[in-house]
Amino acid sequence: MEEFTYTRPATADDATGAHSAAEDAMYMAGGQTLIPVLKQGLAMPTDVVDLNRVGDLAGIQVTGDAVTIGAMTRHAVVAASAEVKGAIPALTVLAGGIGDAQVRNRGTMGGSLANNDPSADYPSAVLGLGATVTTNQREIPADEFFDGMFATNLEDGELIKSVTYPIPEKAGYAKFPNPASRYALVGVFVAKTAGGVRVAVTGAGQDGVFRPAEVEAALSADFSAAALDGVTVPADDLMTDMHAAADYRAHLIVVMAKRAVNQANGQG
Amino acid sequence: MSNVKIGESLRRVEDLRFLTGHGRYIDDINLDGQARAVVVRSPYAHATINSIDTSSVADMDGVLLVVTRDDWQREGFKPMPTKSGVKNNKDGTPLSQPDRHALAIDRVRYVGEPVALVVAETLQQAQDAAEALDVDYDELDAVTDPVKALAPGAPQLWDDIPNNLCLDFELGDKDGTEKAFAEADHVVSLDVLNNRVTAVPIEPRGCIASYDASEDKYTLYNASQNVHANRDTFAEVLNIDPAKLDHIAPDVGGGFGAKNSGYPEPPLCLYAAKRLGRPVKWINSRSESFLSDTHGRGQSSRVELALKADGTFMGLRTTTIGGIGAYAWTVGPFTPTGGSARTQGGPYNFPAMYYSGKAVLTNTAPMDPYRGAGRPEATFQTERIVEYAARKLGFDPIELRRKNLMPKEMLPHKTPMGLDVDSGDFPKLFEMTMDMVAKADQAALKAKAEAAGKKYGFAIAPYLECTGGGPKEHAGVTFNKDGSVELAVGTSSTGMGHETSLAQILAAALGIEMGRVKFQQSDTTATPLGGGHGGSRGMEVGGNAVKQAADEIIELAKPIAARLLQSETEEVDFEDGTFKAGASSVSMNDVIEASQDADKLPEGMEPGCLNHSSVFERGIISIPNGVHAAAVAVDTDTGTVEFLGYWVMDDFGTIINPMLADGQVMGGVAQGIGQAFLEDIVYDPDTGQLVTGSLMDYGLPHADEIPNMEIGYYEGEPTKKNPLGVKGAGEAGCVGACPAVVNAVLDALKDDGVTHIDMPLTPQKVWKAIRDKGAHDPKALLGDAA
Repeated sequence: MEEFTYTRPATADDATGAHSAAEDAMYMAGGQTLIPVLKQGLAMPTDVVDLNRVGDLAGIQVTGDAVTIGAMTRHAVVAASAEVKGAIPALTVLAGGIGDAQVRNRGTMGGSLANNDPSADYPSAVLGLGATVTTNQREIPADEFFDGMFATNLEDGELIKSVTYPIPEKAGYAKFPNPASRYALVGVFVAKTAGGVRVAVTGAGQDGVFRPAEVEAALSADFSAAALDGVTVPADDLMTDMHAAADYRAHLIVVMAKRAVNQANGQG
Repeated sequence: MSNVKIGESLRRVEDLRFLTGHGRYIDDINLDGQARAVVVRSPYAHATINSIDTSSVADMDGVLLVVTRDDWQREGFKPMPTKSGVKNNKDGTPLSQPDRHALAIDRVRYVGEPVALVVAETLQQAQDAAEALDVDYDELDAVTDPVKALAPGAPQLWDDIPNNLCLDFELGDKDGTEKAFAEADHVVSLDVLNNRVTAVPIEPRGCIASYDASEDKYTLYNASQNVHANRDTFAEVLNIDPAKLDHIAPDVGGGFGAKNSGYPEPPLCLYAAKRLGRPVKWINSRSESFLSDTHGRGQSSRVELALKADGTFMGLRTTTIGGIGAYAWTVGPFTPTGGSARTQGGPYNFPAMYYSGKAVLTNTAPMDPYRGAGRPEATFQTERIVEYAARKLGFDPIELRRKNLMPKEMLPHKTPMGLDVDSGDFPKLFEMTMDMVAKADQAALKAKAEAAGKKYGFAIAPYLECTGGGPKEHAGVTFNKDGSVELAVGTSSTGMGHETSLAQILAAALGIEMGRVKFQQSDTTATPLGGGHGGSRGMEVGGNAVKQAADEIIELAKPIAARLLQSETEEVDFEDGTFKAGASSVSMNDVIEASQDADKLPEGMEPGCLNHSSVFERGIISIPNGVHAAAVAVDTDTGTVEFLGYWVMDDFGTIINPMLADGQVMGGVAQGIGQAFLEDIVYDPDTGQLVTGSLMDYGLPHADEIPNMEIGYYEGEPTKKNPLGVKGAGEAGCVGACPAVVNAVLDALKDDGVTHIDMPLTPQKVWKAIRDKGAHDPKALLGDAA
């Protein structure tokens, strides 16, 4: 690990200030990715700005039509939230299945989104629900937020403050874990929303989270698992590694989509 | 009277310490003035070392010393010895043993091989310097697959070892087996992979070396499971008298064979400690552990079974090619040869058997024993071909096994592999297991699987294995005036509970309170000899050493008891902690107390006269055996497997502590399940880089992947090979598990045409086998090499 300057601001403004004042700063949310990569020397920032004492970044608000979750809200808090469960139960399913108990007690939604690991769970919920990411500078629609593997359209120093998820008519999330790491080998989020059916796949795409057109089309016609019988997803742009070749991932996308739909329909 | 008995499920006395974070592992130990060492490891699988420029780091902050091949050669340090149980090729010539130095001398031959040791004031400084050390390499072609390494034109690891062949071995009756195959009605053949795995103990390897110049004496704290043998190896390497090296393993967090070997790092640290006059501490990181711990299994075998028309087994022939890494490590050449040959054929009646095995050098990490070391491989090979033959020829797999088990009347029996099977009742254990399974109601389990849209599978796997490891063990007993009793044994518990089980044997035998026993292990200053941990020898050799010492102490105590009872020594009998002569009696406790008091001792006996050491020597290895059975549900949409039931019947002879035996069985089954479904050491075949270099890619089983197990013990056939009648329990779990679970999955997929899937049965592989409707080449692994 290389040396860096560590700061622990109390407000979002102080955090963005510290970031912009530094030569090459990184924010630290839950630290579940950042600390391992610092230890391995894969990230060598001059400054680490710790967000854990920034009070106004955590919390959950549920209104009639949306759930807003603060960026520093821990996965365990979302998983255990009765309010979230009442509004979008699939979100609690997703949060409750991230990593293990230790990761869920430290890891945060905002950290996961800013990192945009291609195998992380949260990006599929943001894209699948058509959520809006609120930063210290602006509001970013889900379809414009992600920008490929480990990349987002956040500007340098831009800080996620919260994400607002519109409450769908129904939604489901099904994950097939990597047998070793238990990250998503394929995770599929399906949602039937006022604006139509949205489906987002994590863990499988070479460019990170994406919307599979074939699955969305089939479910738009009929939001049932049976509607996906015979539907295939092209393997061309999917990842291949020792745990899953692209064709296996393509197959799993449809299987997991069916399970997510069943969950959304209260059948699984 | 004692408060404990042999056969009683006592909770582990060490658990309070372990579970409350008070264990004392290597990284918990810090010596005054210690420096920190980091190993510089080869980034290449095969390369010539042109130069190592230590001036590139000499001036860095905190750097104290860089040890390189120049030091090793200048000091005349020796290579580490191979102690393979098989020493000769089948033609009588000795095995090819390349020099294995603690540091690479001319070439590096695997990724992770030690090239230098950097010592600095702090760990951070040592890491920075290790990273900065300038080593100039010329990369060479590498070969990681042992079958490819044998083929013409393969990269050669050693100039004087043609075709990378370290050892060419055979066992059994070749001609008789050929005759059986010629006369057979059916011959079935299948290539079977035993996938390469590594132990991943929760505590990585590490050591602290120090040197006392005033006494010219070294002390080594080391996460070792074999302190006496390792001490001798390190002393040999460093040209020092073993008596000048105290080797101590404090609490050790898991070994499974991976802490059995003499590794390079301890002698490097011992040397550095002497050079610097300061203690030197080294702790392996988890990533380095994947590169540098010994790996196990890693065999490709062609297994052939000859049967009569009615299913009677006539012969078994196995041809194995096993990788052993870049060097002949401590006993690496033994596993794919003698180690896997011995228990071929399991508990079945095979009139003829023949095994040939090649131990092959490859550009991969060293290989050495991993829990079972050959017996899991042999059992898997045998059970897979039996299941495969049953499917192919239309026999019921359960009936085919039942028909061919050795009947009890056959025992004692020497198998065609030379194994002395003295005791057991294989058909009885088979039926006891089937009875356990019957209670679980297979029809209901199948209905449950099918209701969830899954396919049900069941398999039963009898196994027969053997013990191993050092044949001698020391037990020393010291009675203190405060009432405590010190028990020092040269075995090595890496978490399996000897502190409880060996104390239990002593307390039960002497009839004293178990709480009085203070246990000491793995310390060359405490016991003059010791065999450490390996080959399921803890109770078999260690337990019997304790029992023997206790029995001898009872005899030593009889004259004291006789004096207290005003009787004659010959009149005194001992039972349940009490000495009796006629109607009067005295307790062992009173006799022990009297043994400290000159006034109460017979003439010629001195206070402390009951303090006693004993060395037990095993004559012939024991034969643990049993039966595993598994019921699974396979999700054919994803290829995932779920357990619906797991049953084990074991014949370990006498059970000292059933709760601890259960722990051994469960842990062994968990490792078997890990190997069967998840664990796989994968090297890139072109570059020789380790692909599975972390727990992100090397899959270890989680608790939720391990089923509840129903475990039973049959104690009706204790062995007469040792006084306790124990047969060894430590490895059996992983011997029986792989064939049971793999065959259960294949049973579930039989209607999909799937006949074989090589381990690990990852979801992807299971799914692909279903998708491809079972298309499988039975000669996929060895091709024409067998």
